[in-house]
Amino acid sequence: MDPSKVTLITGASSGAGRRIAVHLSRSRRLILHGRDSARLSETRDLCERPTEHCMWDFDLRDSGGIEGALEPVLRGNQLAIESFVHSAGMLKIQALRLVDRGSAHEIIDVNFMAALEIMRLLVRQKFNGKHLRGVVFISSTASRFGARGFSVYCASKGALDAFMRAAAVELAPQVRVNSVLPGATRSAMTAAMLSDSELRDRMESDYPLGIGDPDDVAWAVEYLLSDKARWITGQEFVVDGGRTVNMTA
Amino acid sequence: MSEPILKEFANPLSLGSRRILVTGAASGIGRATCRLLSCLDARIVAVDVDEPGLEAVMREMSGEGHARLGADLADVERIPAWMSELAGTGGPLYGVVHAAGLSCVQPVRLLTPALYRRVLSVNTEAALALARGFQKKTVGDPRGGSIVFISSVMASAGAPGAAVYSLSKAALHGLARSLALELAPAAIRVNCVAPGFVRTPMFDRMASPWDAQQRDRVEEDHPLGLGAPLDVAHSVAFLLADTARWITGTVLTVDGGYTAH
Repeated sequence: MDPSKVTLITGASSGAGRRIAVHLSRSRRLILHGRDSARLSETRDLCERPTEHCMWDFDLRDSGGIEGALEPVLRGNQLAIESFVHSAGMLKIQALRLVDRGSAHEIIDVNFMAALEIMRLLVRQKFNGKHLRGVVFISSTASRFGARGFSVYCASKGALDAFMRAAAVELAPQVRVNSVLPGATRSAMTAAMLSDSELRDRMESDYPLGIGDPDDVAWAVEYLLSDKARWITGQEFVVDGGRTVNMTA
Repeated sequence: MSEPILKEFANPLSLGSRRILVTGAASGIGRATCRLLSCLDARIVAVDVDEPGLEAVMREMSGEGHARLGADLADVERIPAWMSELAGTGGPLYGVVHAAGLSCVQPVRLLTPALYRRVLSVNTEAALALARGFQKKTVGDPRGGSIVFISSVMASAGAPGAAVYSLSKAALHGLARSLALELAPAAIRVNCVAPGFVRTPMFDRMASPWDAQQRDRVEEDHPLGLGAPLDVAHSVAFLLADTARWITGTVLTVDGGYTAH
């Protein structure tokens, strides 16, 4: 039986990952990954044709366990992954002198190692045939610019983008691989920052077009995965309301 | 130029009768952009120095309400004036796509001002003049707008003989960044699309002295092969539409992996 081709979205239980899932569900069958199965179900209910989409409940901090956990999802449902969106991400703001190796490892595991591990599996013929075509990593403007307390997060996103370019070159022309680098959008991850009115006012003024919406990120992802972007690979697409050109902020 | 243009994605990308000015409209990327944007329901103002070419593109576009103007973009000083006239007669502009460009492949010892001035005028100074014309209250759409400059991978890469072309395109990236900040309060977004080597009449002229080996090498430098004008036009459409409402000051590189390897 020819497996049904689907799009895997990690981190689909909230924020940009959830909006990406809703957008892509209009034209694709999805595997929705998240850590929190209740919120993952909420995402599925927001999608078009909810019953067509699978859920994969797994903690990506266990990057060594990904293979064993993902395989039954594919085999059990006769699925092959055609597109992959890595939207799972962890952020912990810590001064460098206070960074502990344990949480640094967790951030690197979720933000980068999980993407590497999933890619490694998806291009193995025994695991996924030759079905993979399009990949988008949700990186961050932190991949290109520093901020106090962001050292590990910046490093994890920088690694993700460097890996993206190498994978794009190695896997062309069968697979296209790109990153979207969002600035701050309204999401659970930024809710704490945005609830502080002083910090929110500063962020609003730092962003020439204001704070973004997860939909703005979802549109870019949908575009990069579509055939309209068939000649785009190995690129960082900055979606940040002009934040990173505003050096005086 | 005979590829079919799909309309099924037209919903979020629809330009709903907004008026978009496209320079370099008579050939290559500009021409593909006119065709694609017209399918997304934009009303096009096609500008080019090549008037017979403009006539052809007018016939190729779908929909109604398009206009054309035969003008030399090297005549930089006149650009804001004819933009005002166009807006006065046909209504405000929502977007500008600067696709007009001249190639320049010359060893540095031959690069006299007489030779490169025209390249810099069309590729670079015209972009600034278009932005100046566009930001006037009587020209731009009160809802805001979107400017897209077609730059090149040569803005960030180098090649022997490409000094002036690289200079002219790299300048567009700097121009877009500062304009993005300056025009954000007016809800005008400014971005660049940086294409790799695309099969256009300009590319064919540039490649005509090459032997088969040189052609193969350029093709191999693009992990996805050479591009088509429509590949670039799709990215222009994405940046003009509301799908990119939170994107400004950015370069979207559309190059088949040229700058990644």
